[in-house]
Amino acid sequence: MRGRELVLELRRRELPQGGWSFGASLQPSVEATTLAILASAAEFPEGPAYSVRSLLSVQRGDGSWPAFRGDDDGSWTTALAAVALSRVGGDSRVREKATAWLVDSKSREAHWLWRWKFKTADAEAGIDPDKYGWPWMPGANSWVIPTAFAVIALKQFSACTPSEEADRRIRTGIAMLLDRACVGGGWNAGNCVVYGSPLKPHIEATAAALMALQDEPRSPLIMRSVEWLRGQTANLRAVSSLAWSILCLFLFGASVADLKSRLAAHAAEVSRIQNNGTLAIAALALQCGETIHPFALTR
Amino acid sequence: MNSNRRQFATTAAGLAGAAATWSTIRRNGPDVRKARSRVAILSVEGYSDALETLLLAALRDFGLNVRGRNVLLKPNLVEHLPGSPVNTNPKLIGAAATCFLRLGASRVVVGEGPGHERDTEMVVAETSLEQELGHRTITFIDLNRDELVRARTKADYSGLGRLWLPKTVLGADFIVSMPKIKTHHWAGVTLSLKNMFGIVPGMKYGWPKNILHWHGIHESILDVCATVPVDFVIADGIEAMEGNGPLQGELRRFGRIVLADDPVAADATCARLMGLDPLLIFHIAEAGRFLGNLDQNRITMLAEGMPRNIEPFRVLPKFQNLQIRA
Repeated sequence: MRGRELVLELRRRELPQGGWSFGASLQPSVEATTLAILASAAEFPEGPAYSVRSLLSVQRGDGSWPAFRGDDDGSWTTALAAVALSRVGGDSRVREKATAWLVDSKSREAHWLWRWKFKTADAEAGIDPDKYGWPWMPGANSWVIPTAFAVIALKQFSACTPSEEADRRIRTGIAMLLDRACVGGGWNAGNCVVYGSPLKPHIEATAAALMALQDEPRSPLIMRSVEWLRGQTANLRAVSSLAWSILCLFLFGASVADLKSRLAAHAAEVSRIQNNGTLAIAALALQCGETIHPFALTR
Repeated sequence: MNSNRRQFATTAAGLAGAAATWSTIRRNGPDVRKARSRVAILSVEGYSDALETLLLAALRDFGLNVRGRNVLLKPNLVEHLPGSPVNTNPKLIGAAATCFLRLGASRVVVGEGPGHERDTEMVVAETSLEQELGHRTITFIDLNRDELVRARTKADYSGLGRLWLPKTVLGADFIVSMPKIKTHHWAGVTLSLKNMFGIVPGMKYGWPKNILHWHGIHESILDVCATVPVDFVIADGIEAMEGNGPLQGELRRFGRIVLADDPVAADATCARLMGLDPLLIFHIAEAGRFLGNLDQNRITMLAEGMPRNIEPFRVLPKFQNLQIRA
């Protein structure tokens, strides 16, 4: 199984109105759509123009994207949309609006009152609320995955269009990621400790956080996390987690050839992969090293 | 003059009463309590193939009518932590699926939206649920990524007003909540009502569904359960969790399954079995006002009665007030 074959399957599953849902529904998901656009763009230089137009059509007036067509709120998928549009080109004002929204978007901890709450009443969460990132949706706390992709989107955008505001926001996001790493490396969804008990790292959160930190100084924490992730891949069979691991480890200079072979074998029965997000990320991982890495940073 | 004043006072009191009643109705949602609820406590040694026979006999005692109905089993799947009783056991889920088909259900699906781990396929595979459902040809639906429909909440504790919910859940004819009996570091316990948090889609609300925490965990549980009624409960307490649940607690070999045709009666019974007072757990106590029966006098025990001696579940210090004092 090669990346191209997975992309062909993705193209077969493209919705009549453009975009992709996660599964069999007709409701386009921005996450599935952006990942599928990134995977398709690598195999077909013209890109899935119809789905790009569909993605652009759901951008909200404030520059953000909702989680899915029909949703009223901006969401973390704005970062993924910015990354996808950066890959396929097009009107830079669209990305400017998206990144401006990301710069302005803040989690609950950004407010002094909630910071005070986390320092007093909710101290068992074990976080430093002065270091905040991005929420999944407005009104919530910072979490690792939305923060990681927001940092990647802002770093990619500010490589060509630097701004002090974006840089300040990137620094706060990075501080949050470093603050919330698990004791032995890696990242859980958010906190690393609850009521004194350490939480176990998750593969996708760790891969995303490391990709956001790929151009930061290689601290012991970062390298421990890379090693943790590498260790997890030994017996990993789940397509999505294996694919995220490949995309991340490649950026840290690891050899991913064997992992790609294993992924190709696990993804061989493509009809069993019903989640289009998983299919897209598997295609991207199989393309790793052969085309532009969608989450690479060039700062 | 006096008469006018009295009339005014009467009218004002009437209006205030009506407003209070309306406010209570709106907050609570419609009263769906049965005249009597039924609960069965079953002592079970472990997770074996014998579960299916035991469960089928117990379900028959309830005389459930699921013939031709589309049944959704909602277990509690969080993430795979080997050796830790975090998830509803796959053998129990598989046995329940087969039992409902044998009782005449036209379709049985298992649906869950894990709260923290985004790779649902990995959770389903690593916990062996995939294998358990595969050989029974039962479909698993990732509720975090299902098609979503916006629904007005039927109670208003959280202030959310509307919730995006999975089409699979809203389209089910008969919903079975299958919690793992555990303590919970924010809610006190996680039982059949709290288990319904898992129907709230991560695709909209994130991993975890943190915005609901900001609207109040207990309050959100009440709104979700008022909007999506639970028809039946099969609670897995064969291996339960005490202490710092729902992830980091310790195994408690509890040896029981609790079945009920009312989620509030189920949770109240489970809490009592855990040595905890359900009246002190806000979402259970409040649910007893409109979603189901909390009072033991309105619960018929179909199998075993409450045990005489209960060794309370260990809880975090902040929940020690929940423990029933002898």
